[in-house]
Amino acid sequence: MKDPDSEAQLPLPCIAPVSGAQIIQLPARSKSLALEQTSKTATSEASSKPITRRGKSNSLWYALYLPQLSELDSTQQKKYLTQLAKLAQGVSSTVSFHPQALICEIRSSLKYFAGIDAIHQKLQEPIEEQLQQWNLADDFCYAASPTVRGSLLLAKSGHNALIYRQENLRSALGQLSTDVLDLNKEQRRRLLNMGIRYLRDIWRLPSDGLRKRFGSNFVNQLNQALGKAAEPTHNYIPPPAFSASYDLPYELENLDRLLPITDELLAQLCDFLQRRDLSTSSLVLSLFHEKRDSTEVSIGLRMASRSQKHLTLLLETHFDKLSIPAPVIAIKIEVKKFDAFFVKSDSLLKDETPASTSYNDRNLIQFMEQLQARLGENYVKSVSNAAQHCPEHANLQLDYKEKLNRRSSVAMPAEASMNPRPLWLLQEPRQLNINKGRLFYRRPIAIVSGPERIETHWWSGIDVCRDYYVARELNGSRLWIYKEKNHTGKWYLHGIFA
Amino acid sequence: MTTIQNYSDTQPLHQNQYQSAPADAFPGAGSSDIDELIQGNPKLWRGCDMAGQGMHGRSTGFSQLDAILPGRGWPEKGLMEVITPHWGMGELQLLIPLMRSIVEQGKWILWISPPYLLYAPALVQAGINTDQVLVVKLDTSCKDALWSMEKALQTENCGLVLAWQNWLPTKVLRRLQLAADTGDTLGVLFKHHDSEHSPSPIRLRIQDSYSDNAGFNESEVTVIKARGNFRSLSANINLYQQT
Repeated sequence: MKDPDSEAQLPLPCIAPVSGAQIIQLPARSKSLALEQTSKTATSEASSKPITRRGKSNSLWYALYLPQLSELDSTQQKKYLTQLAKLAQGVSSTVSFHPQALICEIRSSLKYFAGIDAIHQKLQEPIEEQLQQWNLADDFCYAASPTVRGSLLLAKSGHNALIYRQENLRSALGQLSTDVLDLNKEQRRRLLNMGIRYLRDIWRLPSDGLRKRFGSNFVNQLNQALGKAAEPTHNYIPPPAFSASYDLPYELENLDRLLPITDELLAQLCDFLQRRDLSTSSLVLSLFHEKRDSTEVSIGLRMASRSQKHLTLLLETHFDKLSIPAPVIAIKIEVKKFDAFFVKSDSLLKDETPASTSYNDRNLIQFMEQLQARLGENYVKSVSNAAQHCPEHANLQLDYKEKLNRRSSVAMPAEASMNPRPLWLLQEPRQLNINKGRLFYRRPIAIVSGPERIETHWWSGIDVCRDYYVARELNGSRLWIYKEKNHTGKWYLHGIFA
Repeated sequence: MTTIQNYSDTQPLHQNQYQSAPADAFPGAGSSDIDELIQGNPKLWRGCDMAGQGMHGRSTGFSQLDAILPGRGWPEKGLMEVITPHWGMGELQLLIPLMRSIVEQGKWILWISPPYLLYAPALVQAGINTDQVLVVKLDTSCKDALWSMEKALQTENCGLVLAWQNWLPTKVLRRLQLAADTGDTLGVLFKHHDSEHSPSPIRLRIQDSYSDNAGFNESEVTVIKARGNFRSLSANINLYQQT
C-alpha cells in the first residue's frame, strides 16, 4: 500500500498549479468519469443517467446539523433527534436521521409554506426552544440542496447555503474543505499527504484511482453528494395513534342509540389494529356536549385485544353505568397506547390434551414476564436444593431467569436424606427460652423425635454442630428445633413443619 | 357435629343420614355406566351428591378426608380456604399429595408471599419437582399479591396457587373465584380467621387434636363448608402416614 501513495504524489503537483484554470473543463471531465462508471456496471449510460437525474432534481433536502449533540451518548442522541424529528414533521413528510443531523425533504412543501425562508423560520424557534430546554447550545447549522449528502456536507461546513439546482451543486460543494467528509484517520492523513484540502481537488482525480486508494465508500459518498448515486434515508416513523370521531346530525340523549355509531368507530379501530398487527389495552371515549365539558370514559382492558365483539361488549357495559349531563352532539374514540398482538394457536386435533403443553408455553412465559414487570425483577424466585448438609445452605433461591438457564444442568439429587425436613425455614434461627425446665416458644414445646446430629461447615470458620429435634408446640405447631452443641447449649427454632 | 371416623369407608354416609337417596332407589338396575357418567361430572350436582359421593374430585390422598368431601376429593378448580389458628398446623402437609399430582401433570405451583422461606429439600423429599415451583417474595404489597394471584389463577399452566392473606373482602374473593374458574385452577387461601359469609366453595379448618395419647401425626380437619355438603363434618387424619 506504500507504493500507490508515493505514486500518487507524483502527478499531483502537475494538476495543482492549473486548478484555477481548469474549472471550466471540470464538468466535461467528470462526465467522462461518470460514463466510465456506468459502462463498468454494465448499464447503458443513456438510459440510466437521465432517470436518476430527473428523480433527484425533484427533491430538495433541508439539513439541520447539531454539532452540540456529539457530546452526548448515542441513546441520548437518538432520543433527542426523535424529539426534533417530531418538530420537523411539521414542515415535511419525510424526515431522515443522520449522525447529529436531521434531513427533511421540503420541495413538496415549498409552495404551501411560500418559500424556504418561511420553512426555516417555522422550524428555528421551536428547535431553539427545545435545545434550550435540554441545556444545550441553541444554534444549529442548516443548508438545503437537491441531495441528502450534499445538504449534510454544506450544513456541516457551517455554510448556511441554499442550492436549488443540481448543476450548481458541484461548484458549491467544491469550495468545502475535506474536513466535512466522513473519513477515518488513515484516509485523512492520505488526503493531506496528497495535498488535497478542498473537495474540488478531489474531483480532478480519476475515480478509479480514488476507489483504489480510499475504498468504494469514499467515492460513493462523493457520488451521493452530487446526486449520482442512490442515497439511503432512515426515515422517522411516527408512533401509531388512532382517533376517530363522528358528529351526530342531531342531539342524542339515549346512550343506547349511540351503539350503532360506536360500532362503526370500533370497526375502524379494529381495522387499524389489524393492519398494523397491534392490539390495545386502553382506549378513551369522549362524548361531546353543547356548551359543556365533554364526558370522557377511559376503558382499560386486562388483556390486550383487538376483537370488535369484545370491545363492543365493554362499551355497552360502560354505557350502562354512565349518566350524561347533557345530550351528546359528537363522539370520539382515541387510542394512544398499543400492545403487540398475541394469538393463541388452536390445536389441529380436537383430542389434543392441554396437559401435554410444556412449561415453556408462551402463555406461561407471558404470565411470568407480566409478573416480573409488575412486581420487580427480584420478587419472583424459584427454589432449588443443593447437596449440602448444613440446612440453611441446602436451600437456594434463584431468580426465575437464572433458573431457566440452569434447568438443563441441575440434576435432581439421587436421594434426599430420609430424616424429616420442614417445608418452612426461618430466615434466622430464633432462640428459644427455657421456662421451668420446659422449652418455650409461644407455648411449651414437647420433643417428639430426635436427635439428628448435623456437624458440618468447619472449613468456613463457622463451625456448625447441632442436634436437631422434631418437636411439637402445645397449640399444635410442628417445629424443627436444635440445640447448639458448644458450651452455651442454647436452643433454637429453625423451621416449621406446616 | 358428626365425626366421620365412626363409619367405615365402604358404607356410604347418606344411608344413615338421608333415607331417600335417588342413587340407591334402583339398586343394580344396570345403571352403573350412567352412574359413572353422572358422578364423574363436576358440573352436575345431585341432591345426594354430598360428602363421600361422586367421583369428580381429585383425591386428597387421605381416605378419611376424601370421605367428608363432596366428589371424594379436592375440587378441580375454584377457591379453597384453609383456616388455622396459627401457621404450622399441618396445612401444607395436607396439600402435599395434591401438589405432587399437579407437578406430575406438568403444571406449576405458585406460592404467593408465604410467611417463611420455602425449604426446597423438604419439597424434594415429598417428591415434588422444584423446577415447577415459583415463589413470590413475602414483602410484596397486598395489592400486588392479589393481582398476581388473579393473573396466576387465569393462567392455565398454573395448577395450584397458594396465598397467605388474612382479611379479604367478599368482592375480592368473588373475583378470585371467577379467575380460578376461567383458568381451571385451584387457588388456596391460608388464613387465621374464618368468616361465615365467605363465598369460597370450600372452607376447611385444621384444629389441634392434641391430647396426651394423640400422636404427632394426628390432626383434626373440619370441612366447615363445601359446595354439596349440608353441614360441617370433621375427621381425624394422619398427616404423615406416607412417610
